[in-house]
Amino acid sequence: MVDIVAIVTTTIILGSIYGLVAIGMSLIYGILRVLDMSQGSMVMVGSFVAWGALVVADFNPLLALVAAFALTFILGVLTQLVSVQPLVGRGGIDFEMVTFITTFAVAMVLQNVVLEVFGPRQRNVPALVSGQVTVYQGVTLPYQSIAMVAVSLSLMLGFGIFLSRSRYGLAIRAVAQDANSARLMGVPIKRLFPLTMGLASALAGVAGCSWGHFLRLATVR
Amino acid sequence: MPTPLLAITGLWAGYQETPILRGIDLTIQEGETVVLIGPNGHGKTTLLRTISGLIKPALGEIHFAGQLVNGKSPEELTGGGLIHIPQGDALFPDLLVEENLLMGAYPRSAWMRRNELRDRVYELFPQLRSRARQPARTLSGGERRQLSIGRGLMREARLLLIDEPSLGLAPVLVDSVYGVIDEIARGKTTVLLVEENFKHIRRLAKRVSVLEMGRIVRTGTPDELLSDPTVAESYLGLVRGATSDG
Repeated sequence: MVDIVAIVTTTIILGSIYGLVAIGMSLIYGILRVLDMSQGSMVMVGSFVAWGALVVADFNPLLALVAAFALTFILGVLTQLVSVQPLVGRGGIDFEMVTFITTFAVAMVLQNVVLEVFGPRQRNVPALVSGQVTVYQGVTLPYQSIAMVAVSLSLMLGFGIFLSRSRYGLAIRAVAQDANSARLMGVPIKRLFPLTMGLASALAGVAGCSWGHFLRLATVR
Repeated sequence: MPTPLLAITGLWAGYQETPILRGIDLTIQEGETVVLIGPNGHGKTTLLRTISGLIKPALGEIHFAGQLVNGKSPEELTGGGLIHIPQGDALFPDLLVEENLLMGAYPRSAWMRRNELRDRVYELFPQLRSRARQPARTLSGGERRQLSIGRGLMREARLLLIDEPSLGLAPVLVDSVYGVIDEIARGKTTVLLVEENFKHIRRLAKRVSVLEMGRIVRTGTPDELLSDPTVAESYLGLVRGATSDG
């Protein structure tokens, strides 16, 4: 029974982190038809931002999350502009395969830049919140994990509301179904594409904050 | 003569290397209703898609409201009041009926008035109101067509391009759809319509252009064209074999 409780809690925590990354990946695939290989690096960058904000800059935890969100959002927008946008609508290429390669290239660049700047040594990402609670006969649950599940779930909820209620969210869903029709409605897909990839990367970045702590380290992998 | 709302000169366009339009000349004055007829596969749909910016012209010029708009994107052109209701329905299948309508009001000015515009569409097509919370893919063919046209009415149109609105509709629905188009055309909206159903063309349009082999080969009033044996013959032949694409 202790094992089961431990497994279930771990699964929920891990699942909420993976879930954020998965939402981003599927959003990008649904709208741009890009299998975005840079998303893994966004998680890594998120971890490093969390480390930098908490350890180096001594920010408060909320600020660390915001910083990770903002930085990976910008990186995601840039990634789209550099590695995907020039290929949109170009004839004679296998778009999915080519962008698979170009986003993979972005991932390599990100990894090597971080490796060059921070070196190969692992960094400890401290918990955003400390302390823990015993949930069941020796199974303890750090407040950090609860906080991360809460952050993940509220981001997912917020994102869901954004997609279902807002004008931009509606446009994103419409583009995923029929890009040409959406353009006839006046949706500026050239601006919507970078925004989408930025948002998805930001979700990965926030996931990286908790991921980094979960492994207790930020490392280039 | 005032500046025409739409002036097309020497337009060549097509898909990849194959030209479909081979030198189109067409001028439409503000407030006019013009109908395009012609055999399937000769470029009617391509012409509408090129005007609305989905296809880039290879040669020639398109002026909309006095401005050269060659190569402008559809999203830019819709801002200038150009609305294209494409062939088939081109709906967003997994969005709700209501969400499909709201997408029609995407430009900010229309978005501010979206509820009012939506209610007007529901008045025109009451069937859609009862389906508001259903995904568009669950609609029948006739309802899809109504939704597609309704979505096109969710904003102010200066030039309305409609591609075969009666295709696949039951006669009763064709009448109600044409009732709506008639109403729009009576206002100050300019309409360019692709249609094969002569009964409705005669009621709507003062001018009909025949598009054949990528060119406008004849232009005249519906009655003039009807009295021309070659046009009438090829036209009637077309009705018999009418299945799909223009």
